[in-house]
Amino acid sequence: MQLRIDKVSKQYGRSVWGLRDFTLEVGSGVLGLLGPNGAGKSTLMRILATVTGPTSGNVSWNGTDILREPDSVRAVLGYLPQDFGVYPHLNAMEFLDYLAAVKGLDTKPARRRIEELLVMVNLSEVRKRPLGGYSGGMKQRLGIAQALLNDPQLLIVDEPTAGLDPEERVRFRNLLSELSGDRMVILSTHIVSDIEAVATDIAIIAGGILVAHAPPENLLHTVEGKTWEWTLSSSELPEAKQRFLVSSTARRADGVQVRVIAEVQPAANAISVAPTLEDAYLKCLSAHRAGAAA
Amino acid sequence: MTVNRVRVIYQLARADFLERVRRYSFLVTLGFTLYFGYLGATGRIVLQLDKYRGAHNAAYIGGFMAYVTSIFLSLAGFYIVKNSLDRDRRTRVGQILAATPMARISYCAGKSLSNFAVLLAMVTVMAVAAVAMYFLVGDHSGFHVLPLLSPFFFLTVPAIAVVSALALVFETNGVLRGGLGNVVYFFLWNGLLLLGVVQFFTQTPHPFLDWTGGFTLDASLAAAAKAAYPGAVIMGFSLTVGSLQDAALHIFQWNGFQWTSEILLSRLFWLSIAVGVTLLAAALFDRFDPARGTPLLQNPFAAPLANEVADSTRTPIETFSAARLVPAAQRFRFGTMVAAEVKLMLKGQRWWWYVVALGLIIAELAVPVAVRGQILIFAWIWPLLLWSAMGTRETRMETSALIFSSPRTSARQLPAAWLAGVFVAMVTGSGCAIRFLLAGDTGQLFAWLVAALLIPSLALALGVWSGSSKLFEIVYLLLWYIGPLHAVAQLDFMGVTPAAIAAGIPKFYLAATIVLMVIALAGRKRQLRT
Repeated sequence: MQLRIDKVSKQYGRSVWGLRDFTLEVGSGVLGLLGPNGAGKSTLMRILATVTGPTSGNVSWNGTDILREPDSVRAVLGYLPQDFGVYPHLNAMEFLDYLAAVKGLDTKPARRRIEELLVMVNLSEVRKRPLGGYSGGMKQRLGIAQALLNDPQLLIVDEPTAGLDPEERVRFRNLLSELSGDRMVILSTHIVSDIEAVATDIAIIAGGILVAHAPPENLLHTVEGKTWEWTLSSSELPEAKQRFLVSSTARRADGVQVRVIAEVQPAANAISVAPTLEDAYLKCLSAHRAGAAA
Repeated sequence: MTVNRVRVIYQLARADFLERVRRYSFLVTLGFTLYFGYLGATGRIVLQLDKYRGAHNAAYIGGFMAYVTSIFLSLAGFYIVKNSLDRDRRTRVGQILAATPMARISYCAGKSLSNFAVLLAMVTVMAVAAVAMYFLVGDHSGFHVLPLLSPFFFLTVPAIAVVSALALVFETNGVLRGGLGNVVYFFLWNGLLLLGVVQFFTQTPHPFLDWTGGFTLDASLAAAAKAAYPGAVIMGFSLTVGSLQDAALHIFQWNGFQWTSEILLSRLFWLSIAVGVTLLAAALFDRFDPARGTPLLQNPFAAPLANEVADSTRTPIETFSAARLVPAAQRFRFGTMVAAEVKLMLKGQRWWWYVVALGLIIAELAVPVAVRGQILIFAWIWPLLLWSAMGTRETRMETSALIFSSPRTSARQLPAAWLAGVFVAMVTGSGCAIRFLLAGDTGQLFAWLVAALLIPSLALALGVWSGSSKLFEIVYLLLWYIGPLHAVAQLDFMGVTPAAIAAGIPKFYLAATIVLMVIALAGRKRQLRT
């Protein structure tokens, strides 16, 4: 199982690039695609889902060019777009029945699978209610169910936890972990904790360019021994923000606790702490921006 | 009115206007207006009063072009600008605006002004075309700016102000904002024009009943023609698209309007109607309150949506496992796909929609042969809003990413959607088909079959390419109104007039069906590529 993205670029208008010479090889497991808003994540997801084509470059699925033969991947694809609509007069069963027909699934097993999927995403009790009355979170869960309808080999989910409550987020993360065993999952988000929980591989994207691609452990290694915490007064905070890459701040009774990423100890009372993926992500982005500015 | 309110109205109108004119569709519309202006400027549109027409001096060209613009924009203009509130609903900007202190009257005034500005841009194009027309086909008797341009100002501008306000008031009404409103406006437009026609034939010009100002012009032209040709009998007037080979026409001089206080007051009257209609829109405007409207409904025959559904009770996190799901199996069945499309098309229709459809089928079976065609005509306008959703549903409901990422969408879903449309046509027209069969009337049966295939093909082609149901609603309505309803054989795609059957018109529409399907397929492939 291999997805190969080779020098893919997407240009909007004359001067705006959604993606630029993006190259990546993905195998089975969960690939977490991290990046700030507007980084090009959704553009990449739409290209991989064959919903839009790139301006240049190639994408192949198990050796088949999906730009020439999109149906080769569509048959095994589950796609949850960032924004999608529903038919407001259909209920959940009817909507999934319709999509099962569009995806070319055998009716009887599809019907049983739909019922199970609705239980899985906690919509079985409202499965006969028109979708026009669903809340944002319920629609998102329906989107998850439709993405799993054809038991996809390639599951592409774009900001899947948007609109889900904390419990549902945990359920969905567990689901992705479970699914990733013998298939490929590409999870795009800007919420680092979602990726941290499930990704076996991480790609960081910024300005349409691949900034880093590595397993989480390797990314964490880049900030090992470089993450510090100490408490300073509120008046010192602006200077600290100017001098260091601040990962987080928290108010304390004795001042403000700051967490920074720095090559050397930033203050005498700063202590080295265990890095998180968020620290690694921020350092990676910071290095990319510094490189781009230079 | 406070300065702040004026600023709010200006900013609302400006933002809406800029959003519209920066869209590709505005350029297309402007291009079409330019083409229309070109037809006028090169003399390919001719206004005739029976066998008479005015000499192409500056006054006549100005009056004629203003007339054409008024008639054209009073119909097409409505459909062009009737999307202002809809856009704010869809983009959800409306929810942001609703949470501001903005007054409803300010919002509606801003939107009405924006509508007006869009149409005014088109009027300007036509006015420039009128100047060009004078130099291209004018009689060079003297270029007089005022007689040339004043009809645009006094006739056309109040007309488009009314259109702008009417478009807004239709959008503020839950029933009229969708496809039904498009149909209702068509008949309203007809009715308002009829008021003018009645004036012409009764020889009693009444500018206060002349919305577009066109019939005030016709009356003035007729008076000039009669003055030039005493004893001339003018029974009618017509706008024809063709070349300027009008040697058979008698030419008369018309030196422009005498802008009498009655005419000017009548135009002010129509401007005040526009203001009144805008105020009515403000009174009806729901301020984007979802509880007071059904923003996603294109079809008012559909049942209202349920209120928000309470979320289901939680099941413990550990109770489900994706591994235990029934495996999915690929086995595409075209029949299942067609059934799903039929269900999608009909889902949510109210019970009385079916009752009327059934009543029409029974009438098709029961009425005398002489009126059978008339029943079929009405049976095939009843599902208009079902057909007009074809090809646009994926865009309107934002399901395109889900559907277009499925395998072989063009080869599976599109033909299935088309067959669902054919199914609706066949069922609603089934009474006639049975009678044609029983009578062995193969000619009529063939025409019926072609129409049943043509209507969904037209809907799909226009829907897929325009992304909106509006274009099909207008084109089909015009075709239906002029062809079958007014028995113009060439446009009688249903074959209800004997002349259409005798002339073999259905064969032409069969060819058109094939072309339209190819166009629809090409449009869908384009959607899949982008």
